[in-house]
Amino acid sequence: MTLRVLTVDDSRTILAMLHHTLSNAGFEVLQAEDGQQGLDVLKTETVDVVITDINMPVMDGIEFIKHVRATGLHQSLPILILTTETSQDKRDQGKAAGGTGWIVKPFDPEKLISVIHRVVH
Amino acid sequence: MSDLDDFKATYFDECSELLTELEEQFVAIEAGERDADRLNAVFRAIHSIKGGAGAFGFSALVGFAHAYETLLDYVRDGRIELADEVVTLCIRANDIVADHVAAARTGDALPADYGMDEKARFDALARGEAPADDDGEGPDEFDIEFTPVMVSLDSDVEEAEYDIAFDLAELDDTFEIVPMAIDHGQWEVRFTPHRALYARANDPLLLFRELGALGEMSVKAVLNPIPPLSDFEPFDVYCSWEISLVSPTLTEAMIREVFEFVDGDCDIVIVQAGAAVVPAPAPAVEAAPVAPAAPEEAAVSDLLALADDEVAHLLDFTPEPKPAPVSAQDSFEEPPGLSFAELAESLKPATPVQPAAKAKPVALAPAAAESSGEEGERRAVGVQSIRVDLDKVDRVVNMVGELVITQSMLTQQMDETLRARYTELVRGLEVLAQTTRGLQDSVMAIRAQPVKSVFSRMPRLVRELGLKTGKKIKLETIGENTEIDKTVIEQLSDPLTHMIRNSADHGIESPENRLAMGKPETGTIRLSAEQAGGNILIIVEDDGAGINRERVLGLAREKGIVAPDITPTDEQIDQLIFAPGFSTAEALSDISGRGVGMDVVLSNIKKIGGSVHVRSWTGRGCRMTLRLPLTLAVLDVMLVKVGVSPYVVPLSSIVETIQCSRAAFERVPSGGQVLQVRGEYVQVIDLAERFDMETETEADNRFVVLCEAEGSAKVALIVDDIIGQQQVVIKSLEENFERVEGIAGGTILGDGNVALIVDVQGLKTTIVHKNAA
Repeated sequence: MTLRVLTVDDSRTILAMLHHTLSNAGFEVLQAEDGQQGLDVLKTETVDVVITDINMPVMDGIEFIKHVRATGLHQSLPILILTTETSQDKRDQGKAAGGTGWIVKPFDPEKLISVIHRVVH
Repeated sequence: MSDLDDFKATYFDECSELLTELEEQFVAIEAGERDADRLNAVFRAIHSIKGGAGAFGFSALVGFAHAYETLLDYVRDGRIELADEVVTLCIRANDIVADHVAAARTGDALPADYGMDEKARFDALARGEAPADDDGEGPDEFDIEFTPVMVSLDSDVEEAEYDIAFDLAELDDTFEIVPMAIDHGQWEVRFTPHRALYARANDPLLLFRELGALGEMSVKAVLNPIPPLSDFEPFDVYCSWEISLVSPTLTEAMIREVFEFVDGDCDIVIVQAGAAVVPAPAPAVEAAPVAPAAPEEAAVSDLLALADDEVAHLLDFTPEPKPAPVSAQDSFEEPPGLSFAELAESLKPATPVQPAAKAKPVALAPAAAESSGEEGERRAVGVQSIRVDLDKVDRVVNMVGELVITQSMLTQQMDETLRARYTELVRGLEVLAQTTRGLQDSVMAIRAQPVKSVFSRMPRLVRELGLKTGKKIKLETIGENTEIDKTVIEQLSDPLTHMIRNSADHGIESPENRLAMGKPETGTIRLSAEQAGGNILIIVEDDGAGINRERVLGLAREKGIVAPDITPTDEQIDQLIFAPGFSTAEALSDISGRGVGMDVVLSNIKKIGGSVHVRSWTGRGCRMTLRLPLTLAVLDVMLVKVGVSPYVVPLSSIVETIQCSRAAFERVPSGGQVLQVRGEYVQVIDLAERFDMETETEADNRFVVLCEAEGSAKVALIVDDIIGQQQVVIKSLEENFERVEGIAGGTILGDGNVALIVDVQGLKTTIVHKNAA
C-alpha cells in the first residue's frame, strides 16, 4: 500500500528535494506551500504522515500543527517537523503544538525515510 | 548527478527571488515600517536560503546565513532592538548573502574571511543579550504502583509465559519488578508514557518495533494503575511497560535514541541488568482512588454499552483507536450485569493478549485503511501560477516568430489576380494574420515581467550613494508594475545602476550647495517606467545641477570627439556623455566610474534594441530616457528597397514617408542636404550612399522616410522604394556576423531573402561623428 505524505514548505527547493526522495522511496507525495494550504489539503485528502517546515508565510508550521491537532480526525496523524540542527527551541515549540517528531535539515534520503517509518505503521 | 543540478537550479532561482524580497522588505524597513510581518518575511527568506544551502553543502553561505538568521531571530523576539545601525548591518548582510549565493552558483570561492566582520558583529549583538534558556519542563512527580504483566513479543512463545496479574482486589499492591536473569548486554527499560505522547501521535507500538530491532526483546505491560471503569478516562494513560532487551552491542545511547521523539512525553528509566533499579521518577497518571467495590450494576452496563471501543483501547493499553486483540474482546462479551471484578476475573484465563506490536500493521491502522480509499487522485494545491523553464517559453516565442514569417509570406504571395479569384482564401489569411498577432501578443505577455524586480534594487543603491557622497538623496519610483520582456529586464539592471550612480554623483549637489541655491536640502532622483506605444520608457530624472556643458564640451574637444570648428547645440552636447570614449576615469569619480562610462550604458541598451536620450536643464536637473522595445523578438517594420537590396526600418521610428519629388530639399554650405519639413530642417541621409549601393532609381521617384531619432530629433532617410509594412523576427547580426554601424540587425523575409534592419539612431550618431571629426 502506498503511503501518502503531505509535505508543507515554502521553499521550492526543499519541496522538490522531499518530493524526489519520497517518490523514489515509493511514497505518494502531496505538496503545500504554507500551513493554510496544508490544512486545505487535509480537508479533502487523507494522508499517512505530514512533513512540515516551521517558518512559513501565511500560516507557520506551529499554527498548522495546532490546527491539525484541533481537528478530531487528525489526532493520530504523525506530523514531522523540518528543523535545522540548531533550532532546538523551534523543535520544542513544534512538539508542544503536537508534532510527533522531527527531521533535521539537511536530511539525507535514508535518514528521512527511516524517520518516517519511525512514526508510521 | 542531474537531479542535484535540477535542485540547485531551483534553489538559485528561489534565492534570487528571496534576495529581491529582502531588498523590498528592507526598503520598507528603512522607511520605518518595522513591523513583525516584515521581520518574519526577512527571517524566512534568510532561513530558506540557509536551508537550501545546507542541503547542497554551501558551508560558507550556511555559516554566514546562520549568524544572520540568529540575529534576525533575536530582533524578531525583541531581544535586540532594530536600531538604524542594525538595519544598515542587515542591508550589508543581504549583499554578503547575495555574494555567497553568486559564488555558490558559479563555483567561485570567496575570500575565507569574507563577511567575517559582519558575522562577528552579529555574534557580538547576539551576545549582548544572551538568549534565555528555559525548557521549563520538569517531570511531574507521582508515585507509581503497578504490577508487572509479562507480554512476550516473541511470536514463538504463544501462551507459555503469559500471565495477566490483573486483580482489582490487589490494586494497592506495591509495585515490584519481576526479576530478570542478569546477563551481559541485557538492558531493562521502564517506559511510562504521558498523555502528551499520544496527543502528538506517537505510538508505543512503533517504539517497541524500533526497540525490537536493537536486540532480543520482551515487553511487559504494567496495568495496575487502571481505575475502576466508573472513573476511567478514555483518553488518559493508565499503563506503562517494562522492556527487556538483550544484545551484546547495545548501549544506553542507542536505546535513548529510540525515545528521541518522545523525550519529555514519557518517563524512561534505562538500567543495565545487574545495576540497581531506580524507581521511575514519575508515572503518567495520578493514582486513581482505589475502588475495589463493584460499581452499581446499571453504571457498569451503561459503560459497557459504549465501551466496546474504549475497552479495546484499554486492552491495547493505549487510548489510540486500535482494534483490540480478538480474544480479549470476546471475553468482554459477557452478559452485562457482571460485576467489574468478575469481568476482570474473567480476563484472567484469557488466551494471551497478543501484543499489538506483533499484529500486522495493515490490520490495526485505521488511518491507513481510510487512506486507501482515496488513492490515486492527487489534487493540485494552491495553483495560481506555474513555473515554466524560460527555454520552453523561448521555444514558443521562436516558433511564433516563424509562424509570423510564414503568415506574412503567404500574404505576400497573394497577388491581385489571386486575391480576386480566391476571396475565401484571402479572408482566411486575414483571420490567420489576426490570430497570429494575438498569439504573438500572448506569448510576449508570458515573457513580460514588472520592472519592479529591477527597480527594487535601486533604493539601496541610492542610499549607499548618499552615504558615500555625503549627499542627501531620496529615490522616488513610479510605474514599477510596468511590464517588459524578461530579457530586457535582465539587461536593464546595469545600465540603470550606472545612470543612477551618474545622477547621484554628478547631478545631485551637496546639501550646502543645494540650500545655497534655494533648493531643498535633499535631492530627488525619480525613477519611472511607462509604456508609450510600442516602447517602454524608463526615465531617470534628478533635480540636481544638470550637465555641465562647458566641461563636457571641453572634454569632448580634448578627446577629439568634437572638432574645434564645430559648435554643437546644447542638446548635442548633452548627448556627448554617451559618445564612445567620452567617459574616462578623469571624468568619473570613484562612484560612477567602475571602469565603464555612459557609452557602455548606451551600447548595453542598444543591444536590447533600445536607445537613450538625455536632456539637461542647467541648475535644475537632468533627465535620461531609456526607450526600450516591448519585446525583443518581433518588430513591426516598413520594408524598403535601397538599390537591389531590401532593408527594413522599425515602424516605431517612422514619422511619415514623402515622395522625393514633393520634398523640399535644401543644400547647405557644407555640401550636405537638409530637408525642410513644416519649417523644421532635418538632416538627410541617403541610404544608397551610406551603404554604398548602386541605385538606378531616378531621384524624383525615390522616397523620403522621415524618422524620429532620440529626443525627437528627426532624420530623413532616402530610399529607392517603399514595399510595405510587415512584422519581422529580429536576428542578431553580432551573434552571426559582427556589429555593423548603422545596422541594428537582420531578418529573414517571407520570400527567404535577408533584409537588414536600419538603426536610425545609430546612423544619425555616426553622421554627427563624421562631421565632428
